[in-house]
Amino acid sequence: MAGGFRKPSVLPGFGLTLGFTTFFLSALVLLPLAALVFKTSALTWTEFLEILLDERAMASYRLTFGAAFLAAIVNAVFGFIVAWSLVRYDFPGRRLVDAVIDLPFALPTAVSGIALATVFSPNGWLGQKLALANIQVAYTWVGVVVALILIGLPFVVRSVQPALVEVQRDLEDAAETLGASPWQVFRRIVLPAAMPALLTGFTLAFARGIGEYGSVVFISGNLPYQTEITPLLIVIKLEQYDYNGAAALGFIMLVMSFVMLFAINLVQAWGRRRQAAAGR
Amino acid sequence: MSITLDQVTKRYQSVPVVNDVSLKIEQGEFLVLLGPSGSGKSTLLRAIAGLTEIDHGRVSLHGRDVTGVSAREREVGFVFQHYALFRHMSVAGNIEFALQVRGVRAAERRARRKELLKLVALEGMDDRLPSELSGGQQQRVAVARALAHRPKVLLMDEPFGALDAKIREELRRTIRQIQRELGIATILVTHDQEEAFALADRIGVMNQGRLLECGSPDDLYTRPATRFVATFLGAANLLLGYRTPGGVRFAPPVRNDAPPREVVAVLRPEEVELAGQSDSLRSNFVGYGEVQEVLFAGSIERLRVRMPTDGPVPVAPGRDDAAGSVLEVSRTLPEQREFPVGVGGRVAVGARRIHVLPTPISSFTVVATDEREAQALRASPIVATLADRMQTRVALSLHRGETPPPGMPVLTSGPGSAAMVEWHLRHGAEQLICTPPTDPLPTHVVITVPDAEARDATLAVAASLLRHIPAEAIYLAIHPAATPEQARSACLRDLLDVRTAALSRHGLDMRTETRFGDFGTELTRELAAHQRTMLVLGFADLDRFDWQRLAELLEGAVQRPLLIVRPAAADVGGGA
Repeated sequence: MAGGFRKPSVLPGFGLTLGFTTFFLSALVLLPLAALVFKTSALTWTEFLEILLDERAMASYRLTFGAAFLAAIVNAVFGFIVAWSLVRYDFPGRRLVDAVIDLPFALPTAVSGIALATVFSPNGWLGQKLALANIQVAYTWVGVVVALILIGLPFVVRSVQPALVEVQRDLEDAAETLGASPWQVFRRIVLPAAMPALLTGFTLAFARGIGEYGSVVFISGNLPYQTEITPLLIVIKLEQYDYNGAAALGFIMLVMSFVMLFAINLVQAWGRRRQAAAGR
Repeated sequence: MSITLDQVTKRYQSVPVVNDVSLKIEQGEFLVLLGPSGSGKSTLLRAIAGLTEIDHGRVSLHGRDVTGVSAREREVGFVFQHYALFRHMSVAGNIEFALQVRGVRAAERRARRKELLKLVALEGMDDRLPSELSGGQQQRVAVARALAHRPKVLLMDEPFGALDAKIREELRRTIRQIQRELGIATILVTHDQEEAFALADRIGVMNQGRLLECGSPDDLYTRPATRFVATFLGAANLLLGYRTPGGVRFAPPVRNDAPPREVVAVLRPEEVELAGQSDSLRSNFVGYGEVQEVLFAGSIERLRVRMPTDGPVPVAPGRDDAAGSVLEVSRTLPEQREFPVGVGGRVAVGARRIHVLPTPISSFTVVATDEREAQALRASPIVATLADRMQTRVALSLHRGETPPPGMPVLTSGPGSAAMVEWHLRHGAEQLICTPPTDPLPTHVVITVPDAEARDATLAVAASLLRHIPAEAIYLAIHPAATPEQARSACLRDLLDVRTAALSRHGLDMRTETRFGDFGTELTRELAAHQRTMLVLGFADLDRFDWQRLAELLEGAVQRPLLIVRPAAADVGGGA
């Protein structure tokens, strides 16, 4: 398209809508973030780097980003399967399962956290059994991942579902008559069609995982250097009235999240370009 | 034989959507399956491709039984209505897909792709994405893709359905050309008769899951065997005719003892001749009529001519229920010039050519003792469905035991019905139905013919019935339990002959079963085997028939719809 804006549609006035967009973005997103940066700037470089490279902080970054990434990957796989079974099969209780998927959205995260901790604690219902196999979930990094899987699942399912609905049965039939095995049909027809949606779901789950606090703190045990996530570290700093330190950690998270989400977006855009001519 | 279907049946929730279809398609033949939506033609095509499992029957491709083989191993090419192109792949990727999954080397794939793109006239489009092509081009790609792995048969499911008229015609020509060039057996499914005529070597017409007729386009158009095909392929006036010694007449003959012998005659609109006076007609005079409507449609003119009440009787009653018929007429430009007509004009109508349908059922007459019973029977599922689907008129007649009615009598079963049935049969009725008025449509039809002489007529009637009811047909042969072992194989051979005859002469495909035992016991057992069973019973000799058994069937505790066939004396030779 030669430099023009998209043609306006039913919504009135390009100016008006853009105005709203800018206003809301500024008031609700950019302004608080700017405040965060401003607060951080009260620190000197040495102070800033000290907080940034503090060993305890470094451990928390690893846990936060690592667990979120791992959970998002698990969710991408299992969320896809859940979405597939919801879209493709009609089984008794399908609507119920469909509704249950959204529960993690609605539940206060602290509630899910406490529930998970109860179930997975060493004398909890599942924890007992796992303890027999020498697996400890609660108060380890595994617990963090479990909590983030719970929180992130609906993001993947809800993104992938509509995409799978759109994969026509015809396409699979066509591939089958052309001699493709079930695996080839999945790998070469279904998956590429659902890939953009899957990536979106992955990104959302990942982003949510990085910022998650409520559900994690109960199951992780919060051992410094081991099961302490960055958001918790920020809360600890706030409780010690170290506002500048909290702001610095927040700023780091902001930058890292932005870089990662931007990278995923780039991957997605590249995939879209490969997939089909956009805008048709 | 490239494609052989043998009694293919597919049910959805116990209702057959493809019902006992048997068909053979030669190498290089182009068959078009034609039918209204919901007639089962697409399901049948998917069954051939292996995309739908069948419940009964066999599918063979090139002599190899593939009934249990998955779609990917059947080596068929399938073209879908909405192209079903892989949108994330380029044209090249789509076409090479079948080769890629087979692990064909890249150089070979590219050569094959170039060859196919040339075949469908899309050279140089290799790198386009499907979304960058027009509908017609996309379907060309789909055809090329379906041919890439050199399938032995090509199956197309309404491939032109989503395209506009001009592109459709162009693509039609391309496909016909490709098919000829490759000599590949092809089945194309459509509901567009024009398309069928343009493409087909043979047309198979489907309705209600059954393959009604299969033949060359010309044959099916000029000599249809069924009402459905007569009206579905082109326009047709269906009129009741009466067989007289001098040929088929449209006016009912003077009444005598026996009911008049009705036939269904097809009068194509283009076979109607119009003139000012009856003696200026060059064809057989039918009657005078009044022009009701004239529509100019380019190369031809379409008219509707109302015939008087004592003129020809339409097989299906008109919408206004007025007596007399409205004839559809079409005339070419020279005909129009020769005799111009306007609305309201009085014209002499002649018929150049009529075709008498071999179908044995012409019309129904509900016979009852009072009006209420007659209405109940008229509204019964079986009568209402048959009348509607056969587009047949249903007359009501209150029985006073005087003259037999024309058409096929329909009676209520229950006390006293056996005597009524016997009366009608003894007064010349060749077929009749006796049914409980509330029974739902049957899902199984048991045909049994104790008298061999009545067999052909019975099969003809059963075929006619089963063309309009989606039920499964079972032919039951019952022999005495005392039949010696060496005679039994002859019984089985005989049964095979019956099946072959039913299929070849009446287009009726049915399952066959032989039982050795008491006629009544075996029949009762077979009837009780399914919930909704109808019995078709044929016999020739009224005096040899066991009327007691009939009374049991009609007046017993469990009553089922019963269709009795008793061929006319002339057809059997001797008799009552």
